Amino acid sequence: MRPIIEVRNLSKCYSFDKRVMAHLNLREAIVKAFKSPVERLSGRMAVRDMKFWALQDISFEVEQGEVLGIVGRNGAGKSTLLKILSRIVKPTIGEVDIYGRAGSLLEIGTGFHPELTGSENVFLNGTIIGMKREEIKNKFDEIVAFAGVEQFLDVPIKYYSSGMYLRLAFAVAAHLEPDILILDEVMAVGDAAFQQKCQMKMKEISSEGRTVIFVSHDLMSVKNLCSRALLIESGKLQKMGDVESVISTYLLNISRGAVV
Amino acid sequence: MINEQASTIGTPLQEDSLVKANSSRLHPILPDEPAIKIRPESAPVSTNLHDVWAHRELLYFLIWRDLKVRYKQAILGVAWMILQPLMMALVFAVFMGKLAHVPSDGVPYAVFAYAGLLPWLFFSNSVASGSHSVAGNSYVIAKTYFPLLVLPITVVGVRLVDFLIAFSVLVGLMVYYGIHVTWNILVLPVFIAEITLLALAISIWFSALHARYRDVGAVLPVLLQLWMFLSPIIYSVNLVPQNWRLLYSLNPVSGIIEGFRASLFGLKFNWTSFCISVVITLATLVYAVYDFCRKQDTLVDVI
Repeated sequence: MRPIIEVRNLSKCYSFDKRVMAHLNLREAIVKAFKSPVERLSGRMAVRDMKFWALQDISFEVEQGEVLGIVGRNGAGKSTLLKILSRIVKPTIGEVDIYGRAGSLLEIGTGFHPELTGSENVFLNGTIIGMKREEIKNKFDEIVAFAGVEQFLDVPIKYYSSGMYLRLAFAVAAHLEPDILILDEVMAVGDAAFQQKCQMKMKEISSEGRTVIFVSHDLMSVKNLCSRALLIESGKLQKMGDVESVISTYLLNISRGAVV
Repeated sequence: MINEQASTIGTPLQEDSLVKANSSRLHPILPDEPAIKIRPESAPVSTNLHDVWAHRELLYFLIWRDLKVRYKQAILGVAWMILQPLMMALVFAVFMGKLAHVPSDGVPYAVFAYAGLLPWLFFSNSVASGSHSVAGNSYVIAKTYFPLLVLPITVVGVRLVDFLIAFSVLVGLMVYYGIHVTWNILVLPVFIAEITLLALAISIWFSALHARYRDVGAVLPVLLQLWMFLSPIIYSVNLVPQNWRLLYSLNPVSGIIEGFRASLFGLKFNWTSFCISVVITLATLVYAVYDFCRKQDTLVDVI
């Protein structure tokens, strides 16, 4: 059977080269245009360009209906991987083929506007994360009930409490129903009851046969939800396999403080 | 560097029993071709345009959001859209029309100026806010995927609505001054379409530039100011010496404003400058879209 996601030799390099630095201004660009031939000849360029490989040669496959957890330390490259899978960032090397509609939630409430009302934001945010207008219309009552903000639908969300805001944001996100769902720590918000609701929703999604990829620092939820896990250390894929063994390797890494 | 890594890691793929257990569940058959192909190289322009079309609902909602927010926050709301060109027309009418007696092609100067300022402000406001559109939305760009071209298009869409609102005042002014429309008015949509395309072209071009070089934000207002005086906004094209006309019409805005007035006030069309402006507008648009598509992949990494 064909995997739903194929990742082949994926690498991402961020070059802190003067050419692509954010604070590069026009004057520097002009000066550099004159200077660069000289520097290129004298070989000084190489010294100044700093390259950082956020991901190196990652290859894996995800089967349909699988819930894949990605674990790793801060800065290991998990988010970069998700951003490439979500098409936000382009890889430097490598390819990904995705056989289905993918939706990603790297954050909840993206594009929420404080001046707009709850219901207006549901439509706006829903469209931003990739839902069709019809789809939002059909699920609107469900979304509102899930968030529990029925009475405040016509109130600008700048008056919402942070809890209401989060619930509404998550409610919209939870009703995105792509074939493949890519999640980044979105469940790390809210109180215990809310987190439980999120986990229930995740279980529901995966029981429907959807594929889920998610990054989490919460090893318990990885254990509970995932059928397989993947460990990234310093941009490299260190281990992939059943959840228990990946997590134990991860914990071992941390206790040793080792960088692989 | 990357090759060394490849040999040490090897292929980490190992089928394990869990996966097999999972795949026994019933799933819809996957398509033969991947729905999404992620590659290091940039997608062709046609793919980008197709993607924008696929996101037209998003475009609609973003335009709707901007309009809604603007009119919610400002008490005067719609009035602001009318006040800007109106106040400017008034000021120019006093100084240029009354005091300096600038000729205005036989039309009262106030109407003449308003008819020039209306498309000009649509254009310059589009470009000014359109150039910020990519850099200004960096937080959304970093969190969700959508074709970035949607951003400058949204700005021009919003400004087009402003333009249409302010247009109603022009109708009022023409009625007030008793200016009769001729069959020329039928060509007006062509000029509105052309200024929209030009606004799109420059906004798209500068939004990619601005995301990389923040200096563009400082340079642009000066550039637009200069551009305004190089276009027949507050004076008539007839003031330009005949032997400079051809050079003057290389500025696509001049042909558009001329045509805009000609169709409103029943003046004679200048087809030469019209054709030049159409060619330049379309060429700029093609270049801008191409340039944007080429640059957009690295934009996320730098903004």
